[in-house]
Amino acid sequence: MSQDYYRQAHSSPSDKGSTLPVRLFFASALGWLIISSVLGLIVSLKLQTPTFMAGCEWFTYGRLEILQRNAFTYGWIANAIFGVNLWIMSALARFEFKDSWLAVCGWLGWNLALTFGLGAIFLGHLNGYVLLEMPKEVAPALFISFLFAALWPSVAFVRRPTGHVFVSQWYIIGASFVFPVAFGITQLLVLWYPTSGVLQALIHSWFIQNIQLLWIGASAIAATYYFISKESGRTISAYYLATVGFWTYFLFAGWTAPASLLGGPIPVWIQSVGVTTALMMLVPVIILGINFFGTLSYSRGFAYAWNNTTLRFVLVGMVSFVVSSALNILFSTRSLNAVVRFTDFTVGQQQLVNYGFVSMVFFGAAYYILPRVTGSFWPSAKLVHLHFWSCVIGGLGLALHLLICGYPTVNSGVISYYYIPVIFFVLLQLVGHLAFAINSLVMLFASARNTNDNPHA
Amino acid sequence: MKDFNLILSGIFFTLAASFGGLLISSEVQLGSLGRAPAEEGGPLYPAIETGLAIQGRQVYLELGCVTCHTQQVRPAGQGNDIAKGYGPRPTVARDYVLQTELLLGNHRNGPDLANYGARAKSDDEIHGHLRSPAAGSTMPAYNFLYTVDKNGVTQPTERAQALVAYLKSLRIDYNSPEAKLKQ
Repeated sequence: MSQDYYRQAHSSPSDKGSTLPVRLFFASALGWLIISSVLGLIVSLKLQTPTFMAGCEWFTYGRLEILQRNAFTYGWIANAIFGVNLWIMSALARFEFKDSWLAVCGWLGWNLALTFGLGAIFLGHLNGYVLLEMPKEVAPALFISFLFAALWPSVAFVRRPTGHVFVSQWYIIGASFVFPVAFGITQLLVLWYPTSGVLQALIHSWFIQNIQLLWIGASAIAATYYFISKESGRTISAYYLATVGFWTYFLFAGWTAPASLLGGPIPVWIQSVGVTTALMMLVPVIILGINFFGTLSYSRGFAYAWNNTTLRFVLVGMVSFVVSSALNILFSTRSLNAVVRFTDFTVGQQQLVNYGFVSMVFFGAAYYILPRVTGSFWPSAKLVHLHFWSCVIGGLGLALHLLICGYPTVNSGVISYYYIPVIFFVLLQLVGHLAFAINSLVMLFASARNTNDNPHA
Repeated sequence: MKDFNLILSGIFFTLAASFGGLLISSEVQLGSLGRAPAEEGGPLYPAIETGLAIQGRQVYLELGCVTCHTQQVRPAGQGNDIAKGYGPRPTVARDYVLQTELLLGNHRNGPDLANYGARAKSDDEIHGHLRSPAAGSTMPAYNFLYTVDKNGVTQPTERAQALVAYLKSLRIDYNSPEAKLKQ
């Protein structure tokens, strides 16, 4: 591993082959982000006013909530992961992507399969497991499309001209490998050839932890490592710890699955394993915290980060990562988990991870990558600011509201006022996403104003 | 750590470790679990669902009920599910052995339904709740499951009847070898 190599190598991908798939991944990610935001708004309105759109079966709360979650995860986050991972790996490995049409096929297949799957959910063909709700027939298409869309970073790594390695590359390889394995195994054992009873719940929780931590989380960690070093021009602080952080993160993550089933109908020893390994996640989280914050902690690094569009988003993501990881560890203990399990507090935890950390980092990544793949400047700086502040206030405000007020909601009689801030924060996020989408789509679709400058918002 | 095969092997090992340690060992422990009588010589539980209840389970699934309702009761000391009246005992692995698609749920906007069949007083009460939930509830009305006949009387559709049959089948008010009812 060499950071000198890293500094030389990642000016931007020398090859133009990867720009088309990266643009397509970002364009579809944006589309799904808007769709999921609109669905999120409808869902929060339905919670406040259950009679809203209640006359039609298609718009039942249960279905729309599931649609929102799937559009957000497999639409926005997955497409963003494909694009960001491909771009970062191409940049780090100086990858010449000659067969980019294969990735375009993967992009097309993934988004078509997803559209079909979400349409099926809308019409009532769904399963009862979080993030496995799409009909099982869609799974093979998603699986094969994933291989076409997301295995290129590994190819880039294998074919890199020099033998050097940067930490982001490990996380990207890990993420690209974990998804198809965990997704394939879980589809087979839960939907195609179902195991009996609570074993399904255990397999499903293993799937969720792997997807959440080792696919989505690892990809966002890879991007964080990349951009804090790239944009600040600094080497990663305490880089020697990164190897330990990586392996402990991957080793413990899958074992934490039963911590999400505490008190459930599974053997107590399995629950104890989950609690123990959740606590052990402290090791990688502390190391990642040292790597991230240490890098920016000297010579006014944080002030610099705040004044850089990409790093400002990544900074919010870093803080959310540490806070959400600490909360996840803390609330995996039995006594605290007993109080918050099944409540909106857990939704707040999810919001902090998937929005505060993952989405923020990918927004930041988009502000760096899109100008470089389109050869354009961001059309409007005001829209960038609107995007940032709407998403910070809306996204983190929603997370804080759910974390602070969310645990006593069930049967507590405080419902009538509780959902009004939720609607406000979700609306604010939608405004931010629209600002982001307008800015990005103008860039993506307008005739490229090719410039050799270093375009940056 | 520059070798692709080394990284990939390591990642495979970490995945295999958690898969083997958690899931294969659970299969060894729970894979052969079957039904058991509540008392010696008595009928086996959990009871086999009727055909109508199985159809109702499908309606429950289609309407996304699992988004807001769980079907699991935690033991006393791990949450206050029993004190809230969700069930007379905690749910255990044996309660789910007949289920090919588990509807445990992981979030409660509404109450737990693991023992709803024992709590509900009559079919009419359940139909009434589906058509017109209590004031202040976040549950929407499922009026599309009902029709109005020529005389202006509201009638449940077949799906509503199936859903109610399913909800009535949800019970854990029997002794399980792993969890006895409160004395």
